[in-house]
Amino acid sequence: MKDDRTKRPVRPQWPAWEMTLAALIVAAGVWSTTLSPYYLSLDQIFGSTRFFIIPGLLALGLAMVVSLGEIDISLASTVAVGTVTLSKLSMFGVPIGFAAAAVVAIGALLGTLNGVLAARFGLPSLAVTLGAMGAYRGLAFIVGSEVGYTDFNDSYRWLGATRLFDDIVPVSLLAFAAVAVAVWLLMHRTVFGRYCFSIGLNRDASWFAGVNVVKIKICAYALASALAGLAAVVWVGQYGSARGDNADGSILFVVTAVVLGGMDINGGRGTIGGVVLALMLLGTLRNGMGLANIGGPTQTVVLGVLLVGGVLRPAVAAALARLRRPDNADV
Amino acid sequence: MSAPDDAAVGNRKGSRRAIAFVLRLREAGVLVFLAALGTLFAVLTNTFLTTQNLTTVASSAAILAIAACAQAVVLLTRNLDVSVGAMMGFAAYLTADFAARHPAIAPWQLVLIPLAIGAALGAINGLLVAYGKVPALIATLGTMSLYRGLTYVYAHGQEVTSSRLPPWMLTSVDARIAGVPLLAAAATAIVVIVWAFLQYFPWGRRIYAVGSNPLAAFYFGLRAERVVLMAYTLCGVLCGAAGLLYAARVGTVTVVLASGWEMSSLAAAVIGGVSVSGGAGSVIGAALGAVVLATIDNGLVLLAVPEFWRMFIQGVAIVAAVAADAAIASGIRASLRTRGAK
Repeated sequence: MKDDRTKRPVRPQWPAWEMTLAALIVAAGVWSTTLSPYYLSLDQIFGSTRFFIIPGLLALGLAMVVSLGEIDISLASTVAVGTVTLSKLSMFGVPIGFAAAAVVAIGALLGTLNGVLAARFGLPSLAVTLGAMGAYRGLAFIVGSEVGYTDFNDSYRWLGATRLFDDIVPVSLLAFAAVAVAVWLLMHRTVFGRYCFSIGLNRDASWFAGVNVVKIKICAYALASALAGLAAVVWVGQYGSARGDNADGSILFVVTAVVLGGMDINGGRGTIGGVVLALMLLGTLRNGMGLANIGGPTQTVVLGVLLVGGVLRPAVAAALARLRRPDNADV
Repeated sequence: MSAPDDAAVGNRKGSRRAIAFVLRLREAGVLVFLAALGTLFAVLTNTFLTTQNLTTVASSAAILAIAACAQAVVLLTRNLDVSVGAMMGFAAYLTADFAARHPAIAPWQLVLIPLAIGAALGAINGLLVAYGKVPALIATLGTMSLYRGLTYVYAHGQEVTSSRLPPWMLTSVDARIAGVPLLAAAATAIVVIVWAFLQYFPWGRRIYAVGSNPLAAFYFGLRAERVVLMAYTLCGVLCGAAGLLYAARVGTVTVVLASGWEMSSLAAAVIGGVSVSGGAGSVIGAALGAVVLATIDNGLVLLAVPEFWRMFIQGVAIVAAVAADAAIASGIRASLRTRGAK
């Protein structure tokens, strides 16, 4: 018996939600081709990736925090702190390599602060990062004032603005892909990642099993905010400007991507692959809505509906399952 | 730990009194902080302590106090509403637009519109959170963009200018009753009514019960879903009232009206001692928190401090207030342990 079971390979479960997302991406792409004859060109498709790279980096970071059952809504403000810091460094002629490292480090520092407050002192992460959202946004304005800075030289803009291979593939897309693979490996192939999900499922059990819960949580917050620092470097390249209100309001897109990607907002469940697919879906939709001349406010409404729909999905699925098996209603 | 039974009972009574004292202290602490702030600004500037300036502070605190009260009702149930600003904006714009199209409408009829809109929007939030089991932050983040986006769509890039509003709307908010701005009087009345409702009525007590211990409330036979739905609906109604007053105060109603108020209302409530983990605090405290924020705002303006410091200070204040509450809570737990009552 026992041998039988070990010999027989476990049948891999179809990742149903990821498959659905992939199908939806194809559907959204087909819908987009009907909107504009210019949609189906490599240039356009690769160009449209700019819609999700910056929020995508934030979403990958947020996914780590969410896997722990925590939340960090200060990430967009951290991006603004990053961009205005880059503007100051650029003003003093600091080489980009050093400047980028400094901004990522500053991001990690801000994230550590969030992590220490939430994990070490046990404050509710929502309240802490809501406060941090305001405080970091204020900090960005204090550092950068409300006048934008646009005199970035080409080396600062390289990561966000350059396209390789006949001017088609954006460097930032490659960077995003690299980060996505790294985060996937970290979350699904390392001890750190398993600890993250186990803490999200049952914090106390993980603690009794000897997991350093506080350290893991602080690390996740720091990593997420470091990615926000990287997103700031991409931002400067993409938009060529830095101001205190950069990325204001983009947290909605980020949270939507994470939730739609199948991460359980209460922690412990979800995949990085799902988050990446959700990002591609949202990017395709946003690109398509842009082609269809659908205005920004309507896009925001669609985003809000998708967010609520994404969270309601498990509840609706459970309700449908109950309807299908009325005899098991109480289980 | 090993104290005799009767002594333990006596101690438990004592510790309960101590807890009540600490909780009362929390609101007294806000008052002390407010007094300290007032003294600081009075020393640093010579315009702070003038009647005219204090009236300005009272007027701007008034609307925020109502919004903070709305936020507090939801916070008490261990939930959160980040769509407060969007609900205010939605209710304010639709009401102002309606008033501009029907100038002859009677005041009491007009007042009902934002309240009804607020109730509907709040009920949607409540349904999602209570019956849809969607985490409060996610649900209200979604509806925040939904409500704000719908306001944009409805407005078509227009705004309602003050010249199109009925004149009584604009004059009534500047009116005074025996020297007290009507706005402040109305806010005080609303806050006291909500406080009395939460304090003395069964439905109000249920909000505290569900927030402080959902499991105990469940075994007691309370339907948490209904209580949470009611809290969100009440929050929406209060946002509708705040939105109408805000629209009348600023005169020109745009689609971005009250954006960012979710932060301010939350900051005010938390500074006023309403716990984000539910069940503790009062709407009076939340209103006091609003006065603190309005005083800080006013002081910073008088001191000519750039506006962005406000955001920074507000954010830090939220974190500090949450930390203070956590410290008080662990202090209470520690005192219970040393007194031998579990």
